[in-house]
Amino acid sequence: MFQRELIGPHYTSNAFEESVRNPSVNSSKCSPAIELVGVSYGYAKKDLPVINDITFSIPQGQWVALVGANGCGKSTLVKLMNALLPKGEGTIKVKGLELQSDTIGEIRKTIGMVFQNPDNQFIGATVEDDIVFGLEGQCLSIEVMEERVKSYAAKLGIADLLDKHPSELSGGQKQRVAIASILSMEPEVVIFDEASSMLDEKTRNDLLNILSDMHKSGRYTIISITHDAQEIAASERVLVLQEGKLIADRTPTELFQDEKILEMSHVIAPFAFQLTTELHKYGLDISIPNCEKELTEALWPLHLRK
Amino acid sequence: MAITFEKVNYEYDANSMWGQAALQGVNLHLESGVLAGIAGATGSGKSTLLQMFNGILKPTSGTVRVLDITLRGGEKAPKLHQLRKRVGLVFQFPEQQLFEDTVEKDLCFGPINFGCSMDEAKDRARSAMEKMGLDVSLLSRNPFQLSGGQMRKVAIASVLAMDPEILVLDEPTATLDPVSRAELIQLLHRLCREEGRTVIIVTHRMDELLPFANQWVILHEGRTVFQGTVKALIEQADQMEAYGIVIPQSIRYWRAISEKFGLSGEDPCLSAEAMSKRIAQLVNSEDV
Amino acid sequence: MSEKLLIGRTIDTGSWVHRIDPRAKMVAMMLYVVIIILSNTWLEMACVAGFSFAIIALTRIHIKYFIRAAKPLWVLMLFIFIVQCIKVDDKNGAILLSIGSWNLYVEGFKLGLFSVLRMVFLVSFTAILTFTTTPGRLNQGLEGVLKPLKAIRVSPDRFTLMVSIALRFIPSILEEAQIILKAQASRGADVRELPWKEKGKMLVSLLVPVTVGAFRRAEDLVHSMESRGFRMGEPRTKYHRLVWRSRDTIFIGFFIVMLIAMVWMSGYGTGELWTL
Repeated sequence: MFQRELIGPHYTSNAFEESVRNPSVNSSKCSPAIELVGVSYGYAKKDLPVINDITFSIPQGQWVALVGANGCGKSTLVKLMNALLPKGEGTIKVKGLELQSDTIGEIRKTIGMVFQNPDNQFIGATVEDDIVFGLEGQCLSIEVMEERVKSYAAKLGIADLLDKHPSELSGGQKQRVAIASILSMEPEVVIFDEASSMLDEKTRNDLLNILSDMHKSGRYTIISITHDAQEIAASERVLVLQEGKLIADRTPTELFQDEKILEMSHVIAPFAFQLTTELHKYGLDISIPNCEKELTEALWPLHLRK
Repeated sequence: MAITFEKVNYEYDANSMWGQAALQGVNLHLESGVLAGIAGATGSGKSTLLQMFNGILKPTSGTVRVLDITLRGGEKAPKLHQLRKRVGLVFQFPEQQLFEDTVEKDLCFGPINFGCSMDEAKDRARSAMEKMGLDVSLLSRNPFQLSGGQMRKVAIASVLAMDPEILVLDEPTATLDPVSRAELIQLLHRLCREEGRTVIIVTHRMDELLPFANQWVILHEGRTVFQGTVKALIEQADQMEAYGIVIPQSIRYWRAISEKFGLSGEDPCLSAEAMSKRIAQLVNSEDV
Repeated sequence: MSEKLLIGRTIDTGSWVHRIDPRAKMVAMMLYVVIIILSNTWLEMACVAGFSFAIIALTRIHIKYFIRAAKPLWVLMLFIFIVQCIKVDDKNGAILLSIGSWNLYVEGFKLGLFSVLRMVFLVSFTAILTFTTTPGRLNQGLEGVLKPLKAIRVSPDRFTLMVSIALRFIPSILEEAQIILKAQASRGADVRELPWKEKGKMLVSLLVPVTVGAFRRAEDLVHSMESRGFRMGEPRTKYHRLVWRSRDTIFIGFFIVMLIAMVWMSGYGTGELWTL
């Protein structure tokens, strides 16, 4: 659904508009979406730092999963990126722009955030009001706001719910509203802070599809904090945090096959990975199956050989 | 029999602000000492069902029998104090019910309400901490200073301290990280296996409970559409999607293997360890 | 307990009244208050009743909802009724009922009845405002009505933001309180079964978690608002703009006509405004 936009006239005109309005866009095209150098942060001076000397950069359009045990500092780290928490040590650059007190506004425009609790991030009294809350802050005209509400509500499948009160919506629907609210502000980086963890399995899969579509459209750099094996598997790159330190930077497959890092990151691999790792212990080397059929097909010849 | 429901209906008050999902003609039989999993899509009535186990909600019609206490729809309920003591109900995000300034006081709240002496309550608090795998040194701490996972366990311990015969939990692992989740499920499994308590867990992550639960109940739109063993569940797994539940990976894999290798009569192996051991027996020439 | 709470419950029938500008409704309700105060005779009360039922009929909302809106106040009404009955001690007036040395005068009874009737009409009728207007529109209306306050440096948009957040989160917090109540009941502290003197203890176990929960929500909300670029006092555009239409003027017109009629009747009837 997002991909259609890429080739549609709507998208091109939008991109054009933006580069005219903001000449720095072209020059920053090559700079990474997010760049952290030596970032540290502590809530209280005496305590151990919650974030300890973290350096990494994320190129534009990448989908990064940020993982680690509860309380390892993932949430703190992303909240530092758009100054929801006061500045710590080190430098944070978003699209080449350094985060400082006078750039907070600009950076918050670039980064959109979807949080864990579906109910608590619902600001408006209705779905429509929630979507326009951010748009009003951007001082858009009524026509543009109406346009955005219509198109993003349609993209997220909530067009029928526009006049609903949050109490009439399920958790999954509220998360869609949150995503529509964020995307309608047209950010370039979207951060999902455990956005799927309070949803049921089925709704979680729906959310994963939304993320995949967003990624495919090429318009967004995605950072998702998650414990969900499927979500990690769908991403391009995994950053593992442990006690405020960046301990690994891998592809999902590399992560799932490294038992030591898996344990440190408190991640449990998808069932297929677990199974192949266990089978390996019995001397059975089978490539990771994509579905159960692939597994039985791989096993059958071995069974016949017996 | 620990819990029996006969044709239980629950209609929620249409004037109520909080939409409690309704139940329609629910029949349920859970033996003492089982570890039961209850699954179902959002709004299928899981939470309503749980709140009937200790009389927080009363049936509109039908009969609920829990241990030796009977609640009939339309009749005045007996004093529920005894029932509440014997059926510990842990709500979703139970850490949100903590309120005392030390963990110990919070753990003693339940036992004292049910008539324990202070000393006895403290003993129970200590033993509940141990059962939940928590260090007793945490007893003097402020519960609000603990980590999320610890708070969750303390909250469960605060119900366990009442020494209930039946422990009922509503999505106890929600929002925890996978390792903490697995650990918690194992602790609950131990309560069932080693102490003979009946443990009933509502979950939307069937995967993590499948290797442990010996009974499953599936709710769909306020009705019990399945009740039985894991084996029976696997046989009927195709219907799960219609009930709004994603078929767990482990079931998918086990079904494929048992079909291909003709293991239909066998007890299912649903953990990666057990399944790969069984596979190894099937394909390796020497017996493992 | 809080199940009878009808705050912010819109009942959408799509009627003509639903589409009226919230500012018009608010002004109309203020006029209604004056109308109620002015109704002092049976005839006037009958006129008010007729008028009220006519407007209620226009909303196409079942009358039972309006009756239900006044129900929670019955204790207060009973109290007012009794006070009014006792208060009148007119030695020359007609006596309706005598119990021992105490007399119930016709005048007192009438006064009590009128007070209760006024209250019933006031509470039931003004429920139109919440029944036919979504909290959001109500709030926009409020902002419009409060606009004159800008002159004394009170910013109505701050106030309405506060109101809208309160309206948005009060139901959630009450729901959370309900769950905590149930959770503590499961731990042996059931408000319904505890003796009165122990209910106090129960209060702590309810208030602490609810307060902690409200703070947690507030923090989440602030993060959500800030990450969507919100900054207090920064310029914003308005998505919803209230447009005053002729039907809004007509709606207020009904109330003005009624008000004039009341003034006229009370003047004509007895020559004195405040007698019964």
